[in-house]
Order: sequence, then structure tokens, then C-alpha cells
Amino acid sequence: MKSKPRRLLIIDDEAAVRRFLRLGLEPKGYLIEETTCGKEGLERAASFVPDIVILDLGLPDMDGIEVLRRIREWSKVPVVVLTVRDLDTEKVALLEAGADDYVTKPFSLIELVARLQVAERHSEGQSSNDPVFKSDRLEIDFSQHAVKLDGKAVKLTATEYNLLRILALNGGKVVTQAKLREEVWGNIGMEAVQYLRVYVGLLRKKLEDDPSQPRLILTEPNVGYRLAVGAITQ
Amino acid sequence: MNSDDRPDPDSLLRAIQRDEAKKKRGQLRIFFGMAAGVGKTSAMLRAAHQQKSEGIDVVIGTIDTHGRKDTQALVEGLAIIPRKKIDYKSTVLEEMDLDGVLERHPQLVLVDELAHCNVPGSRHLKRYQDVLEILDQGIDVYTTINVQHLESRKEAVEQISQISIRETVPDSILETAAQIELIDVSPDELLKRLRDGKVYLGDRAEAAQKNFFKHGPLTALREIALRITAEKVDKELQNYMETTQTQGPWKAAERLMVAVSHSPYSERLIRATRRIAYNLEATWIAVNVNTGVVLGDEDQAQLLKNLTLVRELGGELLATTDIDIPHALRRIARQKNVTQIVVGRPTRRLLRNFIEGGSLLDRLVRESGDFDVHVIRQESAGASRNPWWAAVSIQAKLGDYWRVLLILFCVTVFSGVTEPLLGYKAVGFLFMLGVLGISLFFSVGPVFLGAASSALIWDYFFIPPRLTLHISEKEDILMCAVYFITAMTTGWLTNRIRARERLLAERDERMTLLYEIVSDIVKASGRSDFVDAICARVGKALAGDCLVLLKNEDGKVIQVNSRPVDFVIDEKENAVATWTMQSGKRAGWSTETLSEAAALYIPLLGRGEAIGTLVYKPRSRKKLGVDRENLLSTVAKQLAISIEREIFEERAREGVRLQESERLHQTLLNSISHEMRTPLTAILGSATALQGEVSLSEGSKAPLLLQEVILASERLNRVVENLLDMSRLSSGVLQLNKEWHDVQDLIGVSIQKIERYLRGHPLKTRIEEPLNLVEMDFRLMEHVLSNLVFNSIAYTPDESEILITVHKDNNWLVISVEDQGPGIPAESLERVFEKFFRAPGTPAGGTGLGLAIAKSIVELHGGRISARNRGSTSEVSGLRVTVELPVGNPPTLQGEKNEI
Repeated sequence: MKSKPRRLLIIDDEAAVRRFLRLGLEPKGYLIEETTCGKEGLERAASFVPDIVILDLGLPDMDGIEVLRRIREWSKVPVVVLTVRDLDTEKVALLEAGADDYVTKPFSLIELVARLQVAERHSEGQSSNDPVFKSDRLEIDFSQHAVKLDGKAVKLTATEYNLLRILALNGGKVVTQAKLREEVWGNIGMEAVQYLRVYVGLLRKKLEDDPSQPRLILTEPNVGYRLAVGAITQ
Repeated sequence: MNSDDRPDPDSLLRAIQRDEAKKKRGQLRIFFGMAAGVGKTSAMLRAAHQQKSEGIDVVIGTIDTHGRKDTQALVEGLAIIPRKKIDYKSTVLEEMDLDGVLERHPQLVLVDELAHCNVPGSRHLKRYQDVLEILDQGIDVYTTINVQHLESRKEAVEQISQISIRETVPDSILETAAQIELIDVSPDELLKRLRDGKVYLGDRAEAAQKNFFKHGPLTALREIALRITAEKVDKELQNYMETTQTQGPWKAAERLMVAVSHSPYSERLIRATRRIAYNLEATWIAVNVNTGVVLGDEDQAQLLKNLTLVRELGGELLATTDIDIPHALRRIARQKNVTQIVVGRPTRRLLRNFIEGGSLLDRLVRESGDFDVHVIRQESAGASRNPWWAAVSIQAKLGDYWRVLLILFCVTVFSGVTEPLLGYKAVGFLFMLGVLGISLFFSVGPVFLGAASSALIWDYFFIPPRLTLHISEKEDILMCAVYFITAMTTGWLTNRIRARERLLAERDERMTLLYEIVSDIVKASGRSDFVDAICARVGKALAGDCLVLLKNEDGKVIQVNSRPVDFVIDEKENAVATWTMQSGKRAGWSTETLSEAAALYIPLLGRGEAIGTLVYKPRSRKKLGVDRENLLSTVAKQLAISIEREIFEERAREGVRLQESERLHQTLLNSISHEMRTPLTAILGSATALQGEVSLSEGSKAPLLLQEVILASERLNRVVENLLDMSRLSSGVLQLNKEWHDVQDLIGVSIQKIERYLRGHPLKTRIEEPLNLVEMDFRLMEHVLSNLVFNSIAYTPDESEILITVHKDNNWLVISVEDQGPGIPAESLERVFEKFFRAPGTPAGGTGLGLAIAKSIVELHGGRISARNRGSTSEVSGLRVTVELPVGNPPTLQGEKNEI
């Protein structure tokens, strides 16, 4: 796809993980730099100037989230975090601290590559200014407030549309519940959590073939929601 | 708005508290009449039928129809709790089965004849105490009572009806009643009923007619009954005005005070005070002034009775120590803002009044300008129970008198020997010395005997003419008279000083004891240590055995003392201890509750509830004096504070230990999860990377092999997750992260996680209502659901259908997972949720943890889980596992209609 190799910094103390990441990602066109601890990671982030960072949470010298915060002090480089299943609250904290996305260990390479690509695309600012969002089935015209599914117009209420718009603007990226609540309802009271559940349900009813097996609006348990983009046509 | 219009915040608060207390307790409805036969019981039964027809669970606790047919007919159709049979002195008597009522726990119980005295051996002496306990349990009670059974009206009714009344209830019970219903008939009507045999049968009817079943007394009784009902209505009106701020005649706060002594006459004063206070809607205080006079057993008992009466009638009780009663009364009256004092008409004690500067009444009236004084008339003369000689004779033993005579004999002999040397006048001083000596060692009676007889002996043997009582010299007459008065006075005064000293010494002893108890606690290294020490001390001071029982977490009684005590807590005593801890009230020996017990049980009241009980088993059955009772109460209070503090400290230590173990646990979990997941990540990641590489080469088995690697590592990952979850669940450190979630979302996420492992199983969902918000921990419930589906995949033939259904059943959300496999043998169905249990004959694979985890998680949510075979025929077979979650109160949300 792209001629210029993208620079990827891996911060992970586990050699086995680093090795398979290098073996799996180099063929995908990444130029890879590895570090094994947070301190070194921060230095490399400055000297190597990566296009994207893979950050492991469990580092020997400092907390992964701390590394992320320090990077975010001066850089907007997309960061994808490697985490484990049982740390949902940490995932939310990571996203709020500026992580672009996360994958849960153990993960497949395909999943990781998809996350990396979405993160990179958003950082390049390609989709945010686009007046139209298009994935393989869904089409949203932001200027017209018009939504089409498989080419057919879908009628949404104002709130449903707002919700979908925010998910689409972050297409493929997870959006935290807190962010959705704040952007759609403008408040962060507990009541809005239930509204969020209800409207996601309503939206699925209008957009999904089988709302109990959603393909478009995916739930990230305890974290938020993600609009699946599949193959996005730009 | 005028600020004077505002109700007093305190009284508002009181009104609210009253309302709240009433809500929690059962409601008492009293059917009230002027005499037997007015139809209270029938009215109560009719009201009960009414309630029953409205769907209230009504039972009869006890009812006495006195053989009246129409009443008997009304009993039909109501459930009856069989009465308990109690053996008493070789006859079997029946009483209401209190425990039976509490266990049955209906909404409403009918208890006839509130004033009834229970058979000895029942839990409470009086039936009204049973009723109070029932009310405490939140059960409503209907009951009946006649006017003569009210404590404060007893005397008035006795005077009217000329019969003595034994069964009474405290007036305060009227105030606890939510409703009083007066059953009123005219005296003529009642007399007619009596003649018709509807009130009493046979002889009793005749006897009743002779006594008070006459027009006059009945009218008087009716008036009393009407007045009491009116008072209650008045009181309710005032309550209403307090809460609703209705403008009305707000009275200045009146407060009454009455002095209570050991005199039986005090009872009358107390009742009178309560009556006046009630009519004034005022509060009242009773004061007992301890003047240092040592009371005999009977007086002690009367004083206790008087004080109990104050408590029963709802007065505030104060005790103080002062030599001067009027002074003490004035002091307390000022401290407590008393506006009116109630006193009795003074008895005639001219000499003492003269010495002390007037009678109690005179001094109170003279020295106090700030309050009104009510004087209540004495009962008929001769009621004074204790003439002076009785008081004297009570306290001394017979032997003391003989000893006094012996001393006098010795003095006489010595005087006889020395008289020739000293002369008969000086001998008088020897006798005086003797009397002084006697007054140092003996009580008032022997001292008076000594003074009187020494005067006689001196006169008879020594004053000329000798061996006669006649005295020839005028100055000798004077001398002998003066001697007699002096001997009496000095004897009496010395005696009083000694008595006071003894009192002080006793008080001192008590203070020392309390001090020692406190220092015992401070010095002790643990609870059983100081409990032992204190019990030993108190036991010694009060001549009995003491021990402490505490309640453990299950509410069972445990003994704290480590040193053996003579007194053994058997089953019966244990029951008393349990009752004391549950009710927070005293019970056992010398109380009115379970008084058959051998020991006295005083609750140790901590913050909010009784934590245990102090048990005191006296060596003799002699009643405890007020002093000793107070001492026991003080010790119980101190013990309660100290033991509760210990318990809190223990809990804090336990908390620290728990935190520590939780921390350890967390460390272990983190380490395991890291050590196992890292290699898994590498395996799965490498395999998936390789999949992309090799899939191109045609005909290779490599993609299939890789698929196996991926599936195996994912399965291993599930095992790790199950183990981690199980260990977290069983360690108890797991905290639910509950939020409102859509069940459809739950199913969606679970399916997304599973679908790659379906191996051709069609997975269908059927959700009855599209939107089901349930409060749950999403992550954990998703684990439950995927475990259930994984089970179905693992144990059913490939390509057989799996169905997830969701529907609502009342307040439960029911999620079930059905498969078409062979099901589970019926005998194993119960056990499938046990840890590591695997049904016999199931194919290999699986840890036997999945369902156990599911069960733990569902139960943490307050839900339930069950497994059932759908059928055993070849057409319908398979397992259905059902998860039920409480729906709770899902939020109602405003919808949005406009679409764009």
C-alpha cells in the first residue's frame, strides 16, 4: 500500500512477544525498533521518532500508563497498548490518558494489525475532516445528517444520529462510555449510562441484521463501543 | 409569619420518631370497655373477620368465649394457634403459645384479656408483656381490656366496685396503642344482658349482681371509660397539631415532680402525679432521695416496686443523695425546670419536725416561691405499715438483745463492786459508758433497750432506797431522768453516726470496686482475662456467682469466662440468656420476665444491640437492694463498653489481616496471569502470523495444523481465565462492578467471543422483549453465558442446534441455554454445579470448573441457576441450563419520537 516504511517502536520486556511482533510485522511494511523498559522507551520515542508505538503495560521499571502520559506530554504519536482481560478499568484509564487503542492478550496478529492501521489513519487526520463516512455497508453524510445502509436511507432520531456520528468519526477505534455520554448527552451523570445502553440497542435495531449478533456496533465490555469499519473506502 | 406560630422542632422530631417507630413495630388496637359483657371480644372478632376479608393473615393467639354462643360462632373461620400446655403444681394449665405466634408470624394476632397474668413458668409474668414482644416483631395485635385493669384507675374502680383487683396493665400500654375502640353500651342494656345470662353464667352472674353490676357503679365505670378514651383522643389531637402546625392552644411546658420513698403511700402519689401530668399534657419526674437511712428488706422491696411503677407509668426516674429531703427536691426542681411538685399530706412527727424546722410540706411551701405544690390526701389512718417499734425490731437479731443484757449484767456487777468506793452517783457514769459502748456495736433496738434497762437497774440497785424503783431524793429523780434522756439520745446519735459511716463505707466500697474493675480492664491482656477478674470481684462483693455470656456471629450464646464457675448454664438458662440478648432487656431471677430462672440476666448493650449478658446467680434468694442493682447495672455498662471496644479492635485486626491476604492473593494472581499469558500471546501471535504466510502454498496441511495450534492455545487461555476467576471467586475478594446493561448486548458479546469455536453448531437466539436492562457485572455475566455455550458445544454432537432464550418472569429475567445433546443423567443434575465435578460418561476435555464458576457468579448477583433435561425421548433431548437474575427497578427513560 505504502512505499515509505512506517517506523514502529515496540516497548515490551518480554523477548518472546517482541520476537513474534518483529517477525509478524516486518513483512507488513514496518521499520521496527525494540526497547525493553519504560525509561529506554521514552528515550527512543524521542530519538527514533516513531510513526506508531506498541506499549506493553507490565514493564519492569515503570507503569505502562506512566510511560504513556510522559509520551503524551510532548507527542501525538499513536499508541496501541497490550493489556490483559481482567483490567477493564485500566483500559479506560489508558484511553483517557491518550492511548489510541488496545489489544487484549493473547491476541491474533490480524487483530493487532487492524488496530495499528486504524490508529495510524486517525493520526494522519484523514477521516476527521471528511464530510462523508463510508464503510462497506454504511454511509453517513455529515453535512446532510443522512445515513444510508446498503444504499438505503435509514431514519434516525437526533440522539441516535449523534451517537452514530461520534462512533463513525472514531471509525474502528473504541470510544469510551464516558466520552459518548459527554458528547451525546452533555452530562456525565450516572443516568446517562442507561440512556447509552438504550440508544445503542435502538441503533442496532435499525442497523444490524440481527441485533443480538451485532456486526457494526461492537461492544467493548466495560470500556465502550466501537464501530466496525471492515474495509473502508476512502 | 409570627415566629411563635412555629411548632417546636423537638416536638416535631418526636412526632416523626413516633411515626417511624410505629411503622416498624406492629400496631396495637385495643377494644376497651367499662366492664365484662359489653361485647369487646365480639367486636374484636368482627373486626378480625373484616381484616381477613381484605386479605390480611389473621390468627387467634388466645380467646376466651366464656361459653357464650354468639361469640363462639364468631371464632369460626379464623385460624387458631393451639394454646401451650404448661404443667403447674400437678395441673395442666393453658396459655397463649408466644413462640408459636412468633414463628407463625401472621400479620395480625388476636389476644383476648390483655390484663391476664400468665401461669408461673411462662416467659413473662403478664400477658401484656407477651403482646409487647409480638408488637416488637412487627406483628399487629388486637386485644381487649376493661377499665378496671388500668394501673392508674385501679383504686378508683376498687372503691366503686368494692372488689379487689389483681390483674392490671400499665397505663403506658394505652399510649402505645395505635387505636383505642371504646365498646360502649348503656348500663341498662348491660344489666339486661346479665339477666339474660349473656355475661356470666350461673353463680358468677349472681355474685356479680350483688357487687357492682348495679346501675350506680356501672354508670361510674362508664364515665371513667369514656374519659380515658377522650384523653387518648385529646392526645392524638395534640400529636396531630404538633405535626401539622395547626394553630391551637400551645400550653407552656409544665413539668411535674414527685418524691418517691419506700413508703407504700408513694404508689398513690405516683399515680396521682401521672394523672395530673397526663391531663396537663406535661412530663413528670420521680425523685428518690437517699438520706442514708438503712432500709430493711421489706422497705427495699417496696421502694423497688415504687420505682418500677414510675417506669411503667412512663415517668423519668432520678436518684440523688442528700440528708435534707426538701433541699434535694428544690435542687432537682431547679435543675429540671419543674413547675409543680406533688407531695403527700405530712404525717405527725412533732418532735422531728421541730428539730428539722417543719414538715417536708411546710418547708417546701415556705422555701420555694417558683413552683406550685399539690398535696395529695393520705389514705385512711392506720395504713402506716411500720410503727417505730417494727422498724426497730426488724434490724436487730434476737441475740443482740441478750448480749446487751449480758453487758449490762457485767456493768452492774462491776458497779456493785466499786460502788462503796465511788458512791451511787458515779455509778451512773459507768452505766452511761456501758450504753455508749453498746451504741457503738449494736443497732437502735438494743441501744434503746440498754438505755432504758440501765436506767432501771441503776434506780433499782443503786439509787436509795435500794431494791425499789422508788427514788427518795428529788435531785436523784432529776438525775435519773436526765440520765435516761441522755443515754437514749447519745445512744441514738452514736448509732446514726455509725449507720451513716457504714453507708459511706459501702459507697466507698462500691467506688473502690468500680475503680478496681476499670483497672482490671486496663491491666488485662485479653477479654477473658478481665472478664474473669471482674466476675470474681462482683461475685465476691454481691455474694453470688457472676459470669459473662456473649453472642457469636450466628447469634449463639458463648461463655467468655475461662475460670470455672459453680453455676452451670443449662438449656433453660441458656434460653433466658438468648432472650435477654435478643430483646436487650433484663430477664430471669428478680425480674418479671422468665423469673423462674436461677440467675439474673442483665444485657450488655453495645451501640445498637445487645452484645452479651452479665449473669448474676445469687447464693441466697434474697431480693437485691437498689444499691446492688445499681452496682450490677454499672458493671454491665462498663463491661459492655470494654467488650465492644475489644470486639471492634478484633475486627480492625481482622480487617488488616484480610487486606494483607488480599494483597498476597492479588500478587499471586498477577504473577500467574502474566507467566501464563505471555507464552500464550507468543504462541497465538506467531501462529496467526504464520497463517498469513503459509496459506498461499497449495495443498499444504500447514493451515489446518496452524488452526489446531490457535484453537488449542485459545482453549488454554480459557482454562487460565477460568482458574483465575475461580480463585478470585472463592477467595471472596471479588467485587461486583454492577451497572445497568442490555441483555441483548450481553448475548452479542458472548456470541462474538464464541463463534469461532462453534464447529458448525447453529446458534440461535430468541429474546422476548428487545430491551431488558438488568443490573449486572457485564464481564462476569458474559463469562457465565460463554461458559454455558462452551459446555453445549463440547458435549453435544456437531451441527446440533444451540438456543439462547431470554424472557421475563415476574421480577426475574430468565436466560436459558438449550442444546440437543444427550442431556445429563438425572442423578448427576444436582451436582453439575460442583467444583471439578464431571458427569460420568461425558467425553474428555474440560476442567469441570465452568458451571461452578457460573453458579458462583450468578449467586453473587442474587440470582439462581439450575440445570434440567429437556426430555429423554429421541425426538426431544438435551440439557437446559437456566439463569435467573433479579430485575430490580430498571430506570424508566424518556423516549424520543422524532426521526430525521
